[in-house]
Amino acid sequence: MLKLVGVETFYGKVKALHGVSLEVQKGQLVCILGANGAGKTTILKTISGLVSPEMGTVRFEGRRIDQMDPEEIVALGISHVPEGRRIFPELTVYENLLMGGFLIESGDLLRERLEATYDHFPLLKKRRHQLAGTLSGGEQQMLAISRALMLKPKLLLMDEPSLGLSPLLVRNIFRTIRRLHESGVTILLVEQNVNLALQIADYGYVLSNGKIFISGTYEELIEEEKVREYYLGEGKYIRRSRLWSG
Amino acid sequence: MTELLTGLSQEVVSGIALGCIYALVALGFTLIYRATEVVNFAQGELMMVGAYVNFFLVSRISANLGITGAWMYFIAFMGALLFAIIFGIILDLVINRPLRDQPVFSVIMATISISIILRALVAMIAGPFTHIQSSPFGDGVVSFNKIAISVQDVFIIFCAIVLVILFYIFFRKSRWGVAMQATSADPTAAQLMGIPVKKVYRLVWIFATLVATVGGILLAPKTLLDTNIGFIGLKAFPAAVLGGFGSVPGAIFGGVILGIIETISAGTLSYHFAWIKEINDVIPWLVLIAVLMVKPDGIFGIAKVKKV
Ligand SMILES: Nc1ncnc2c1ncn2[C@@H]1O[C@H](COP(=O)(O)OP(=O)(O)O)[C@@H](O)[C@H]1O
Ligand SMILES: [Mg+2]
Repeated sequence: MLKLVGVETFYGKVKALHGVSLEVQKGQLVCILGANGAGKTTILKTISGLVSPEMGTVRFEGRRIDQMDPEEIVALGISHVPEGRRIFPELTVYENLLMGGFLIESGDLLRERLEATYDHFPLLKKRRHQLAGTLSGGEQQMLAISRALMLKPKLLLMDEPSLGLSPLLVRNIFRTIRRLHESGVTILLVEQNVNLALQIADYGYVLSNGKIFISGTYEELIEEEKVREYYLGEGKYIRRSRLWSG
Repeated sequence: MTELLTGLSQEVVSGIALGCIYALVALGFTLIYRATEVVNFAQGELMMVGAYVNFFLVSRISANLGITGAWMYFIAFMGALLFAIIFGIILDLVINRPLRDQPVFSVIMATISISIILRALVAMIAGPFTHIQSSPFGDGVVSFNKIAISVQDVFIIFCAIVLVILFYIFFRKSRWGVAMQATSADPTAAQLMGIPVKKVYRLVWIFATLVATVGGILLAPKTLLDTNIGFIGLKAFPAAVLGGFGSVPGAIFGGVILGIIETISAGTLSYHFAWIKEINDVIPWLVLIAVLMVKPDGIFGIAKVKKV
């Protein structure tokens, strides 16, 4: 569904991605891991068109999207929940969702999507006339995700959704992500929380200094000595089966 | 005593009318500032160009089409608004778009250059004359127990109120209005929603040109029309600071307050204290300095939430 081949992205003269290739199949939940500054956010920004790669190609459903404007890419069915949520704090919850559905022309469809969102997140319905900036961190993340879902994207990009949240809320967010995945949304997730991320992901890529340095399934990655050393820490990972029991 | 009160009331109304014009110009550059962080120093010149286009149309319509009276003013007004829309698109193309990724400072320099160019261009085309713009209402006055108010002033206040209400509805209720607010707050996030930010910026420049043009058309009959009329637009700057730079209600409120202060100081105060007359022109700037010293965020001061 999504395929990056040899992508090189620059900020001015500084190269942030050194030939990244990765693939997301329809229905998969793929995770990108890596230390701060590795280039994870840049990959997502390259996919959604906020920055254009100098080299390499990005294809979505077979079509090249690497030179398109962000609004064209959104229209194709890729929504991006950016790092740090980036909700509109001075707009109400309702207005934020309205902006998520900006590309929906039909008023009926828009109302339908709003209702569906409110059904999923009753809390957002309760707060719909409140300014989004007054929501708590966890609520803002819910809003950011719901806003991106207004267009029913084929592919959802999520950049560190658990950042800055309490452990309880982190679990909540992960449950939401898993539920979305199970309902059929294809997801490309960037995470620092390696344990949790790998346990819900079908496949993971580990990024280091703008290059993919290893990739595989959860089972393959936790066996990998280097990944354990770098990101997991010996013995700290939880078994997949035990994660959702508590 | 009653005479003093009558005089003061008259000045207050006339001051509100003048203030409405400052408010319209201030509204224009507040819109641009909010959306692009650029302080548009050409806003006063946009007002001047609008007033000239209207003047030109009024004289052409009566001379060439033989239409006079209310229709003449109405058609000219509509024509000037149409011109403003096109002019706004052009300004977006020449100032905003090419300089989008440049430092804000360069864009501000560009607006200063545009203001000088516009003044020179208009002087070249229209000649270095001072024109008298007639008012559709002539010298008509309405009076409420001895307070006489010019119909033009009432019309100015009426137009400003209508415009502000329209803007309010647009920003709060329409999809594009909310998208404009979203883009002003966080253009990157707006892009991720599929909001075409380039179109939004174009719309912002069109609006700013439109309000300036309306301001110019309304102002011209109150003063004489020459290329320096744009300097009056520059006073919208202290107006915006007074209300709280970047705040839309602040721009409107600040404009009106400044208009009242100025009219009273030029009228009653100057009459009673001759020395005030000498400093009339600097009063808006004195107010500006006073506000910056006492309450730098202005009356409606908004906290600066700047995202990187
Ligand atoms: N807007 C920018 N301008 C210049 N350099 C940037 C910018 N954004 C990111 N970088 C640099 O690109 C590299 C990758 O950043 P990023 O993709 O944000 O990493 P991550 O999301 O993995 O923390 C870093 O070295 C960072 O300093
Ligand atoms: Mg990042």
